[in-house]
Amino acid sequence: MLQFEHVSLSYGGQKILNDLNFEIQEGQFAVFIGPSGCGKTTTLKMVNRLIQPDSGHIYLSGKDIAAVDRYELRRHIGYVIQQIGLFPNMTVAQNICVVPRLLKYPKEKYESLVRELLAMVDMPYEKYAHKYPSELSGGQQQRIGILRALAASPPVVLMDEPFSALDPMTRRSLQLEMKNLQQKLNKTIIFVTHDMEEALDLADVIIFMNKGNIVQMAAPEEMLANPATEQVREFLGKHQSGPAPADLTAADFMRTGIVTVNQNRGIHECVSRMQHHNVDTLLVVDENKCYQGTVSIADIRLTGHVVKSIGPLVRDNTPTVMAGDNAKDCFDLLISSGSPYLVVLYEDRTVAGIITKTSMASAMAEQLWG
Amino acid sequence: MTIDFSVLFQKVLEHLGFTLVSVSIGFVLGVTLGILLTRAPKLSKYILPVLSVLNTIPGVVFVGLLFLSLGMRPATVLIALSIYAMFPILKNTFTGLTSVDAQYLEAARGCGMDHFQRLMMVELPLAMPTIIGGLRMSTVYTVSWAVLAAMIGQGGLGDFIYQGVSSNNNALILQGAIPAALLALVLGALVDALQRHVVPKGLRKGRDEA
Repeated sequence: MLQFEHVSLSYGGQKILNDLNFEIQEGQFAVFIGPSGCGKTTTLKMVNRLIQPDSGHIYLSGKDIAAVDRYELRRHIGYVIQQIGLFPNMTVAQNICVVPRLLKYPKEKYESLVRELLAMVDMPYEKYAHKYPSELSGGQQQRIGILRALAASPPVVLMDEPFSALDPMTRRSLQLEMKNLQQKLNKTIIFVTHDMEEALDLADVIIFMNKGNIVQMAAPEEMLANPATEQVREFLGKHQSGPAPADLTAADFMRTGIVTVNQNRGIHECVSRMQHHNVDTLLVVDENKCYQGTVSIADIRLTGHVVKSIGPLVRDNTPTVMAGDNAKDCFDLLISSGSPYLVVLYEDRTVAGIITKTSMASAMAEQLWG
Repeated sequence: MTIDFSVLFQKVLEHLGFTLVSVSIGFVLGVTLGILLTRAPKLSKYILPVLSVLNTIPGVVFVGLLFLSLGMRPATVLIALSIYAMFPILKNTFTGLTSVDAQYLEAARGCGMDHFQRLMMVELPLAMPTIIGGLRMSTVYTVSWAVLAAMIGQGGLGDFIYQGVSSNNNALILQGAIPAALLALVLGALVDALQRHVVPKGLRKGRDEA
């Protein structure tokens, strides 16, 4: 669909783009990202010949764009910019129809075209078509900016940080609308941003650039899993989660440092230990530190006066899991057993920790919000 | 003294004629040159200062110089007035066009407009308030400069003023000065009406809010 072949650009002796080679497939949402000055916007503007390369070729649908009349080329490529740039002397409808006008569409088609496009962004024709840009909010203006780019049904739309001037709420809803529109209309989108979250949400493929070079070109999942350089990793930052939820084990979120007591110890020592650690239950182990069961303050109160050591009071009705067990299975067991906690054991049956409902909740929160 | 209204009316018409013709020529010249200068930014750096210097040459001197080469003809007056009328319009056209926000030019380019389409659909409409501002200035100035036509015997309200000055007749001076002032007011108001008519609605609204 879009292909760069050995594209280079220098300006005043400085290399802006260094031998770019890449290809973007039809219908892909391609997002360019990188630090400022990396050449992402320059690359974008080469596609509609707002900037000419020094050397190399750019092919759009198989045709070398250098051979196409640049005005004609631009009329068949949508263009959305950060500053929006709706013409203030034209109404919403006139703005939308700018490119169809340049392409000399028959005038009768304008109204139905505007109606159809406005309906796609939920802006009723009657209410908005004859307003001027200055009467719209920033989000509404950029929706019209997008419609202006789509009006002549170009197969490719270039978007240069289109949402970065909007407030976060508006940005979010426009991102979602854009993704939906792109999928519905099957457009190829070339999108520039400096916001990694935006890139990860929207992109089919992310192209990370630095100093005029492509550092990594990969799907978001692939980039998250295998960032090519330290810089990419930094950009991914907080979006890069640890292991995927499916790989989590009980050991990843159990509480450690659990108080245990030997089964031969006396009742008195056991009670003072409970007081000291402010708990009502202790895990009981044998001489080899192997888990035996639990002892609770309630049992000690009930029958503690007839036994000397805690051995007879030990109950083993608390479910146990192994440290390497799948986290989800542990959670399922915790909930279905009705027990307040699970005991996690190592292979040699020594105590690793416990899983409470609190540790489960915080583990889930960490997965959700990082 | 009695005022001969038929003479007064004729002088007003002459004065109005000089003004309208030279402002029209000045407008066409000013807008055209203004547009051309914005297309040659390097050249404009040298031309604009030269024009402002020319602008400061007193009209009397300029009409006198033209009179020497062209003689006592209406054309002499029209050429002089047109050139003076052109200055404010040219300057405002240039300013108006160069101050069009870059985002609109970028959007226009991205939409695939060629130079002429950009000029007609975006740049001139956006510069229109400034250009008309120049036209207003030019019109009001030209009404007063047209008094100079009488200096080389081409009529207009200047006749009363020159006669009044040479015969020390204040009433005669006022008979020329007051209609000239009224003419300036009326033409200024007409340009204001034109301003409301040609400035794109979207720009007016924006300005009201600001």
